[in-house]
Order: sequence, then structure tokens, then C-alpha cells
Amino acid sequence: MTERSSTEGTPDAGSAVDGAKPDRVVVDDLTRTYGGVPVLDSVSLAFGPGLTVVIGPNGSGKSTLLGALAGTVPPITGEIRRPNVEDGSGKSIGYLPQRVPFREGFTARETLAFYARLVDGDPDAALASVGLSDAADRPVEDLSGGMQRLLGIAQAMLGDPPLVVLDEPASGLDPGMRERAFRTAAAHATDDVTVVVSTHNLDLVDAHADRVVMLARGRVAAAGDLDALRDEYGVDTTTALYEAAGRDATLSGTDDDADPARSGAAAEDKRNGPGDDGDRDVHVTGVSER
Amino acid sequence: MTADLGVTDAFAGAGTVFRRELATVLRTPGYGVLGVGLLAVLWLLVAVGGGGATGFVPAVVDLLLPAELLVPLLAVVLGYRALLADAVSGEFAVIRTHSVGVAGYVVGVLLARLVALVAVVGLPFAVIGGYVWVTAAPDTGIFATHAGVDSPLLYVRFLALITLFGAAFLALSMWVSAAATSRRGAAAVAVLAFLAGTLGGDLALIQSLMAGADPSAVAGRAALTPNGAFRGLVFETVIGVSFAQEGNVVDVGRAVGSLAGWTLFGSLASVGTLAFRERVSTVIERSRFRFAE
Repeated sequence: MTERSSTEGTPDAGSAVDGAKPDRVVVDDLTRTYGGVPVLDSVSLAFGPGLTVVIGPNGSGKSTLLGALAGTVPPITGEIRRPNVEDGSGKSIGYLPQRVPFREGFTARETLAFYARLVDGDPDAALASVGLSDAADRPVEDLSGGMQRLLGIAQAMLGDPPLVVLDEPASGLDPGMRERAFRTAAAHATDDVTVVVSTHNLDLVDAHADRVVMLARGRVAAAGDLDALRDEYGVDTTTALYEAAGRDATLSGTDDDADPARSGAAAEDKRNGPGDDGDRDVHVTGVSER
Repeated sequence: MTADLGVTDAFAGAGTVFRRELATVLRTPGYGVLGVGLLAVLWLLVAVGGGGATGFVPAVVDLLLPAELLVPLLAVVLGYRALLADAVSGEFAVIRTHSVGVAGYVVGVLLARLVALVAVVGLPFAVIGGYVWVTAAPDTGIFATHAGVDSPLLYVRFLALITLFGAAFLALSMWVSAAATSRRGAAAVAVLAFLAGTLGGDLALIQSLMAGADPSAVAGRAALTPNGAFRGLVFETVIGVSFAQEGNVVDVGRAVGSLAGWTLFGSLASVGTLAFRERVSTVIERSRFRFAE
């Protein structure tokens, strides 16, 4: 993944998006506002095959970026270019929003069967891929939050789309379920498939991510290969990287950035909710506590 | 995303959406209760009017006014949340990533709800027709080929008109569900739409006559609203036929076109609202952003 942004202190800032490979998802100078307040501000990135994890404090623009990648959030300025499915008729994007949206009254198998019919997929194989075969006949509303998220991941991966976007798939899950959700996402991120995931669980980033994008106040604070970023910032863990990149972003911020209402944090929280309970685990002075 | 799909692909997935929506309707016990309740009300109305022995056309006369209120009411109940539920939960966005066109999605939901309308509204009316068939005097069993004779075929016409009438209100209430952003808002707008649809046309017609409009134009104007078109068609093609009168209650062609037109309008408006709502808000947001720059 490469990043191209006006944001200062960003790694890979010189990489050219225009020269990105055709299998890459290119975000070019993307700005998105709500009520005139920028939630994403001139963001340029390129996502390649593999698992890319988007991190950042609440209101930093993660869900908006993932929604834009999935095509549910139209840009105000800029554009997003995605790889086309070869025959032009298949599913090109798999998407799990932050809030699992499935209709009540249907079992897990019936829910996936609906989506599988649309892409000529196999619902039972999809259930097995996330370890939910035993819960196939349980109504969606009777599944635990973690199982619903796994069902959402299975739905997103049906039809083998080249781009899979999962908005906080580990939100509200116990450690075992978090690991399972990320392991499933990572297993799907092959040489041909780009998987983009947002999370607040930084230990999972260390364990599974190939690349990382860190957003702060709607801008790219850091982006690139996870190992390269850790080397660049001289840190050993993603938690330390989060603190270091967040500190840099704070130092380079403007007066507007200091006001969450003006920087878009309030707008994104209002739109997407407060995020997962992992938020309480992340406290970066000057970034998440403002 | 699927926004750039062609016309053919716009209807992709309609069958799958239809099956899911029909399953949802079948698993909603409330709709069954509504159907049973409607049957009880209709039976009481016919009983009060003299019972099934009076024949098909007298039964239609007894049921016409209640039908003008109950059919729109149940159609609105079936439609006012049909498109809202997936939009509010966020599932519509997920469905769209599976190459389902907006038109295909709306058509799938509309057809399933139309089947529900036939079951919840049409079936009770049909059962009443069967009751009349069983209990009516012998000559009502004649399949009339000329005016002046009561006939089961006249009641079948009445059933067809009820379905067409209900379809118009169903499509319009689905437009409400496409435009609403919350369940409460949808309910409020649906109540307004129901009142405007059932009373608004007649009040406007009365107002125009009081203002000096030509009474000979009433037959044409009455056909423009769903209720006026339905009432006129029932008089012209069911009640009027039986009584062998030269009716001039409504322009039949215009009335049929009106009911079909309202159905088409509601369907297209639902598609347009779902397809362009996000784009319109984005254009507004874009203008605001550029103005602020």
C-alpha cells in the first residue's frame, strides 16, 4: 500500500498513486464532509492485495473511509478507483458495516442463502469458513454479537470479491472471538484479494496486518508496511506506533483539529456510533482524549 | 458499487429479493391477524346489510364505502415500512454490494407486498364472495352475459378492482417508506398520505364544484384520484351493470389508467428516491463544501 497526502510527516508520501497497479484500490484526494464539517480531508492512498488495517481514534474518519471504499459513502471531492471483476458480472466488493444489519426472523443459513443466491455462492461453505456450521439453524437475533459479526464476515466474503471491507469486525467481541474474526479476514487476504479492516484492537494488528493506515482527524497520520513503519518510528509494537504517529499528527495539527466538532469527530461519531469497547483501551495523549 | 449498472442489470436480483420479502411477510403474524380482522368486519357489514342471501351486488353496495377506507389502510400498513427497514438497518447498502439494482430491489419488494395485499385484503373479500355464493338466492349463480342480472362475475370484477385500488395505495406507501428516515417519520407521513388519498380527492372535487366548476366535468376529474377512480369503476362496471343503467359516474378508461398510473408513479418514485437520495445529499454537501472554501 502506498500513501500520498498533503499530511506532513507521513511515510511513503512520495509514492505515486497514478502509477498504481491495476489490482489496487486507489483513493485519490478524497474529501468527505457532513454538515460542511470535513470527516476525511484530502486523503490519498492505494490499497494492494493483503490485509490492511485502518486504525485511529474515534471520529478520525475510519468508518467514512471504509464506507467510501465500499461505495456507500460518495466522495465530496476526489475519487476511488477499484479493480473490476474479470467478467464484469460478479460481486466486486464485500462489505460489513460497523453495525451488523441482518434481518431478524431468519436463520444464519437463510440469511447467507439470500446473499449466496445473488452471487451463486454456497451458504453452507460460507458458514463453515467462519466456524458457524453448528449455529446454521439458529435465528440471527439469537446469535451472540460475535457470531453475528462472523456471519457478517461470511456474507462479505461470499462470491470471492477482490475487495473486502470490514468495519470493526472485532467490535464488542471477547478475545477469542476477536482473534477468530481477524484470523478469518487474514486468511482471506490472498495475493488476489485486498482486505481492509478497521479496529481499535492494536494487538490484533501486530498479529495479522500486512499494512497499516493510521488516521487522525480525517487525515493520514501514517501509512505503509507495518514492519517498515515500526522501523521508521523506532518502535516495537503497533500500540507504540499509534502513540508516536498520533503525537506527530497532533504536533502538525491546526487549531481546527483541536475542536472535535470542527474536525469531524462529532460528525462521524453521530453517523457511525462511538465505536467498539476497545476504545477504552486506547488513550493517546493529545489525540484520543481531546 | 453498482450505481453504474445498465438497464438490464438494474433488475438483477429482483427474484431473490422477492423470495426474501415474501418469507418476511409470511413470518409476520400481524398480517394474518389483519386479514382475519378484515374478514370479521366484512362479514359483519354484510350481515347487517341483510346477509349473503341478498346477492353479490347488494353485498358490493354494502362493502363499497368500507372498502374505500379499509383497502387503503391495509395497503399503507403493508407498505409504509417495506423499504425503510433495510435502509435504516444498513442492510440495503450491503445488498447493493451484491450487484442488486435499485429497480430490481424495489420491484422484488413491491411484488412480494402485492402478494401479501392479495392475501391479506383480497382473500377476505373473496371469502365473503364465497359466502354470498353459498347463501344467496338461486338466480345469483347465473353467470350474467347481459345487464340487469346479479352475477358472481360482477363480484370477481369487484375483487379485481380492489386489487388494483390496493396496489395504487401500496405503491404510494412504499414511496413513503423510501423517503422516510425513521419508523416514526414513516408512520406520520403514511397517516397523512392515507388521509390525503382517501379524503383529499373528494374534498378537492367538492371545492371545485363550489367554486363554479362545470358539473359535467366531474366524471373526468373523479377518475384522477385513487378513491374516485375505484368508486367510479365499481359503479360503472359492477353496480351499474346489474341495474342496467347508463352510468356516467366516471370515465372508465381514465379511471383504470389513473389506478395503474398511481401504481406506476409510486413504484418509479420509490426507485428514484432510493437511487438518488444519497446523490442529492452529496450534491448539497458538495455545494456547502465549495461555498465554505
